[in-house]
Amino acid sequence: MIARQLLAAEGGNEFQAPGTEIFDWGPLWDGAPSWLTKPTLIVALSVIIVCGFFWAAFSKPKLVPRGVQNIGEVGYLFVRDQVARPMIGKDGDKWMPFLLSTFFFILVMNLMGVIPVLQLPAPSHIAFAIVPAAVVYVLMVFLSIKHQGLGGWFKNMMFPPGLPAWLYIILAPIELLSTVILRPFTHAVRLFANMFAGHLLIAFFASVGYWFLIEKLTPLGSGLGVLGFVMSVVMTGFEIFVQALQAFIFTLLAASYIGGALHPDH
Amino acid sequence: MGVLAEVTGNVGSIAYGLAAIGPGIGVGIIFGQGVQAIARQPELYNTIRQNMLLGFALTEALALIGFVVPFVHS
Amino acid sequence: MSNLLAAAAVAAEEGGHGNPLLPHASELVFGTISFAIVLILVGWKLVPQIQKTLEERTDAIEGGLKRAEEVQQEAKETLEAYKRQLAEARHDAARLREEAKEQGAQIIAEMRQEAQAEARRIVEAAHAQIEADRQQALQQLRAEIGALSVELAGRVVGESLEDSARQSRVVDRFLAELEERTRTQERISS
Repeated sequence: MIARQLLAAEGGNEFQAPGTEIFDWGPLWDGAPSWLTKPTLIVALSVIIVCGFFWAAFSKPKLVPRGVQNIGEVGYLFVRDQVARPMIGKDGDKWMPFLLSTFFFILVMNLMGVIPVLQLPAPSHIAFAIVPAAVVYVLMVFLSIKHQGLGGWFKNMMFPPGLPAWLYIILAPIELLSTVILRPFTHAVRLFANMFAGHLLIAFFASVGYWFLIEKLTPLGSGLGVLGFVMSVVMTGFEIFVQALQAFIFTLLAASYIGGALHPDH
Repeated sequence: MGVLAEVTGNVGSIAYGLAAIGPGIGVGIIFGQGVQAIARQPELYNTIRQNMLLGFALTEALALIGFVVPFVHS
Repeated sequence: MSNLLAAAAVAAEEGGHGNPLLPHASELVFGTISFAIVLILVGWKLVPQIQKTLEERTDAIEGGLKRAEEVQQEAKETLEAYKRQLAEARHDAARLREEAKEQGAQIIAEMRQEAQAEARRIVEAAHAQIEADRQQALQQLRAEIGALSVELAGRVVGESLEDSARQSRVVDRFLAELEERTRTQERISS
């Protein structure tokens, strides 16, 4: 159990909160290829789960849905009606494959953080948050240039119509910075930071509970241990909510960027 | 004159704590006003929602940069 | 920025725990491959199928509704046509009845007229017949009166040959009758 390794490694009498080292995972066993680590395994598992679920739901769709197809359709309609159609408009249906895959992939990766034994939300390793964000960014740039032309894109971005002239002096560089540099960065880091911080919180409270209840059980400290245990349960519930919300917001912003590239100033 | 007061430990955490004040207030204002606007004009829900999320993304960017800076300098 | 690069270099060399903000190259590659797998399998192959099914379902429902509407419309039109035909038929019947009544009245009037004409003709014929009979009777009478008077005269003359007294008695009797006759005639005519 990682907590015991952590806390025992310190070896002292003082409680040491877990730090960023809980995110370091080496190869699964000695001599394994260097890329076969726990996060990588979790991502592979997420891929299998997502593909398996959608295969079961959509491989032979019937006109009157039965069983898994119902659930799959609920997910599809949720993403279509809450994300694609409001953000992109009527032709959002064309982007549904991309948005649906992204949403469920990130959702399952996130939820791995609360499943026992696995307990690592994969996007807490920034690489797995960078990949979808980079794909969305490349897509956005490509679509913007294709639909608005290179000059047109910069003009629409930096000089939106209907503002007093002096405002453009401040607005243009801010908009340029925001769209070209900050957007992919915040897109990835939002997901990463939420998963990172959430996992750290759960680990912190869990190790508090473990230390004060099991490692160093004292009458005074046991209250703190119970508090830590209760808080870890609460934080787990909160983390489930945040994970789902972050997946939704990631997809929502991806749809918003794509919609902004397709119809500027809609 | 010696040192009057000293803060030891991870200054980065203090930095992020300070950096989170502004975006916290900002995000709260955005969504609070957004909810009020929806209550006043429910038929504009989609427009208000889009603008809310746009403002939220820009404001949260500052908080995220604040989160990241201590790691950059560690 | 140079800090970042230096930290990356250090982390790459050490291989130990570095800045959590720095992606591991192996994870980047693995992540890209996984995302690509999900996109291809779910996005390219499966989602179009469910999109097609959802469209089919919408078509079936809407198409079914539209077809039901059309059939209803047809039924309504047929009903209208039938009603119109019925109204026409009733109209025709009423008209025919009117005509029949008129014709009946006409026929009765004609027959009455004919009957009247016939009656008049009969009456006229009867009149003519009576007239003819009267003429005939007059003729006959005239003829008979001639013969009778001659006979009477013969008898009178025969008797006068026997007795001149009886002759005067006959003439007196005849004159008295004449007077009687004129007197009654005067009495009748006065």
